[in-house]
Amino acid sequence: MSNTSNLNAVELTVNGVPYPVAIETSRNLSGVLRDELGLTGTKEGCDDCECGACMVLLDGQPINSCSYLAVQAQGREITTVEGLAEGDDLHPLQRNILAAGGVQCGFCTPGMLMSATALLERNPDPSQDEIKIGLSGNLCRCTGYAKILDAVSNTAVELR
Amino acid sequence: MAITDLPEFVRADGPDKVTGSGRYTADMTLTGQLVAKFKYAGVPSARVTKLDVTAARAIPGVFAVLTQDDVPDVRYSYGIADRTLFVKDVVRFDGEVVAAVAAINDKIAQQALDAIVFEYDELPAVTDLEAAIADGSPLVHADLDAYEVTGDTPHYGNVGTHSSIEMGDVDAALASADHVISSRFLADASHATPIEPRSVIAQWEGERVTVWTSTQVPFDARAGVSETLEVPSNRVRIVAPHVGGGFGGKCGAHFEPHIAALAKAAKRPVKLVFSRWEEFVAPDRRRESMVIDVTTGVMNDGTIVARTGNILLDNGAYMADSSFFPQAAAMHVAGPYVIPNVKIDARLVYTNHQPSGSVRAPTAPQGCWAVESHTDEIAATIGMDALDFRRKNIVTTGSVGAVGQTYDEIGLDQCLEKAAASAGWGQELPEGEALGISVGWWPSFHAPAGAYAKMHGDGAVQIITGASECGTGSVMTLRMLAADELGIDETSIELIYQDTGAAPSGPGSSGSMTLFNHGRAVERASRQISDQLKELAATQLEANVDDIVLANGVASVAGTPSASVPIVELAGASEDGELLGSASTEALEWPEIVGSSCLGDQGFASWMAPQFSCHVARVRVDKDTGVTRVLEVHAAHDSGTIINPMAAHGQVEGGILMGIGQALTEGTQYDDSGRQRNAGLLEYKLQTIADAPKISTEFVEIYTPNAGPKGAKGLAEAPNVATCGAINNAIANAIGTRLNQLPMTAERVWNAIEGEVE
Repeated sequence: MSNTSNLNAVELTVNGVPYPVAIETSRNLSGVLRDELGLTGTKEGCDDCECGACMVLLDGQPINSCSYLAVQAQGREITTVEGLAEGDDLHPLQRNILAAGGVQCGFCTPGMLMSATALLERNPDPSQDEIKIGLSGNLCRCTGYAKILDAVSNTAVELR
Repeated sequence: MAITDLPEFVRADGPDKVTGSGRYTADMTLTGQLVAKFKYAGVPSARVTKLDVTAARAIPGVFAVLTQDDVPDVRYSYGIADRTLFVKDVVRFDGEVVAAVAAINDKIAQQALDAIVFEYDELPAVTDLEAAIADGSPLVHADLDAYEVTGDTPHYGNVGTHSSIEMGDVDAALASADHVISSRFLADASHATPIEPRSVIAQWEGERVTVWTSTQVPFDARAGVSETLEVPSNRVRIVAPHVGGGFGGKCGAHFEPHIAALAKAAKRPVKLVFSRWEEFVAPDRRRESMVIDVTTGVMNDGTIVARTGNILLDNGAYMADSSFFPQAAAMHVAGPYVIPNVKIDARLVYTNHQPSGSVRAPTAPQGCWAVESHTDEIAATIGMDALDFRRKNIVTTGSVGAVGQTYDEIGLDQCLEKAAASAGWGQELPEGEALGISVGWWPSFHAPAGAYAKMHGDGAVQIITGASECGTGSVMTLRMLAADELGIDETSIELIYQDTGAAPSGPGSSGSMTLFNHGRAVERASRQISDQLKELAATQLEANVDDIVLANGVASVAGTPSASVPIVELAGASEDGELLGSASTEALEWPEIVGSSCLGDQGFASWMAPQFSCHVARVRVDKDTGVTRVLEVHAAHDSGTIINPMAAHGQVEGGILMGIGQALTEGTQYDDSGRQRNAGLLEYKLQTIADAPKISTEFVEIYTPNAGPKGAKGLAEAPNVATCGAINNAIANAIGTRLNQLPMTAERVWNAIEGEVE
């Protein structure tokens, strides 16, 4: 940015890693994750909380990071899709969505995975309707959703 | 990352996509890149009186501002070369690009847009299809006759292409019919709406440009840059990183030329990322609105004797790739039925709307919706069950269809029976619920495509293909074909794709052509390697080459499995140290047609390897609110042999859900001047997971000669054809009256229930 006078020095903790950054107050979290931290797994599809591609977890709660100010995330734990796998081991949701065929173009997948992660954290035994409610903020144009639903169901069973 | 716990069968790009490590175009950053922004006309019809970018160019941090004066004076488009990269003198739709800016950041780019002086006199806007073809209508293109025209593209006034199907004697047949049923249908425009908004990055090195872009069709994008900027095609390299969905919306050359031109002028890499609003208003790929009049003569026993049709399609302001739409729409209004006497006229009409272009099975959902609703009306008129009426009239193996084509072995009759049985056709349902049935069809298309295959000295294999992957599954299916030829595991094959600098050309991800064409090329290129492997193995094993079998990673002698050599050891033993294959598709025979004459033949007169489908929808209509919920869709498809069941089921389920959106909620609304009123995802509502019904899919696998690999047909568009019609028929069965407008929103359903006409 050409104008440095509005910059705030903040520390963002993403996937357990602290990132000291200087950002303008007006920057949204998805933009900072992508452009400043290089964590481009979080996608931007509408910039208006309509598509869910930018979903990340803030202290475990799913939020549309396109419409959340990055400076507000200081002191809170941010989790993105890059933080789901442990080392080379995929999160069961990641493995099951691949096995079920729930990934096509993949653009909605990171947001979908984050919403599903939050859902299973707060409700380890969700009904089909509860899964649908939990993922209804994430638009997918490719799959028809059935295989995504299967993946979340299968994961809930596996994790119990 | 070295993922170790993958499921047995996954798409090759899957690990990238679930971990976030996969890069889409908007995820890329080049050192020194500038931000691109477009100045849009913001008015649907106007004559430009002043365009001055002097002040914008003077802003510090602005590196380039371009208008039509700064690029070659080239008119382009398929069929009729009717447009320029930027507005030239006349604005013809509100999302038309007036100027493009490259600046050091977003804010300065926006300041530059604001500093552009753009003045105009508004002209009357052409927005109504019937008014547009009436005498005295203002002309969208006053100079239409001066444009370069290719192909059989009859055009006049505001008509861009006029196509017709004519067979037999409809007047005599209608006069002899026991019943003559006429219907009128109106379909709103809709959108492809991939979740990834498009992005383009361009960088020049000397006289060569590389463009990274979210395109479905890298070779069309290359052709577009080459043609409009007058750069030889061998100096244009198009690379598509992962592509976040397309559905036709990312076909054609869209903004690659604009960004390449900006990067050249700015002498810096330039990046464009669309907002969702831009994704709605600017691309020349929108699903066209239609007015469909259809009349059918039928005998008391249910025999269809004649059909006439008159179709108007909204072309919007420019041709894009729409010149074939009238002929395709006419085919859908004829339908997959045996009808001896047919006369259908279809006209593609210029208006001051956003241009129409290929969106997943262009013209088919609307055309099929209309004719399948009409089909139920016919059946009701003669008191025949909708399923029985279709049983009597659909095309089957050996039939001569309504367009004069004789069909080889086809499975529409089996699709009809399977879908109806799966849905429990004829069962009693609770109040407010009903079933509706629709059949659909869509062609497969031959197109030239090439592939290279390489087996390296260490036995590792690369397949280099012009195919694209925007979610369709080509990264799975093409590897499966190569693995089958080579006798090795598909996971040991790497696919190099979406890079015009590496691969031979092809249609990319359009027209359901990936497996059908790129698949044949991959199969043939791989076979060249397997032939060499067999020669090498025959020499090593001192056997006859015809006896060598490649399977499970081993070359062995048939009947003597102990005489074998690992395939990975063979390539390194060859004289060249590696094995190379290079092949293109062989041309397929176009089916003959008899007794049918076509005006404006755009290649749709007969359908190669036609795909057939039947969808049965179960709906529940809330009669107090008009809200329709689709509870179940039962689908059966004849797409020939199914190579990759995971991808095939995914395409059918996704296509059906897109169809449900088009049926119930997706419709573009325009104000009187031609501006879009609902260019956002809150106002233009896609289906969510909460809306998604249970979908059951069955495939009628018929080996189809003169088709794709192993008897496969195309697949990805066909699931989007029949759903809207099935839903309308189900709604009609539930509420006792029929809608004739698409989408069938809650308001329209409620109006129909209340007997009010919109």
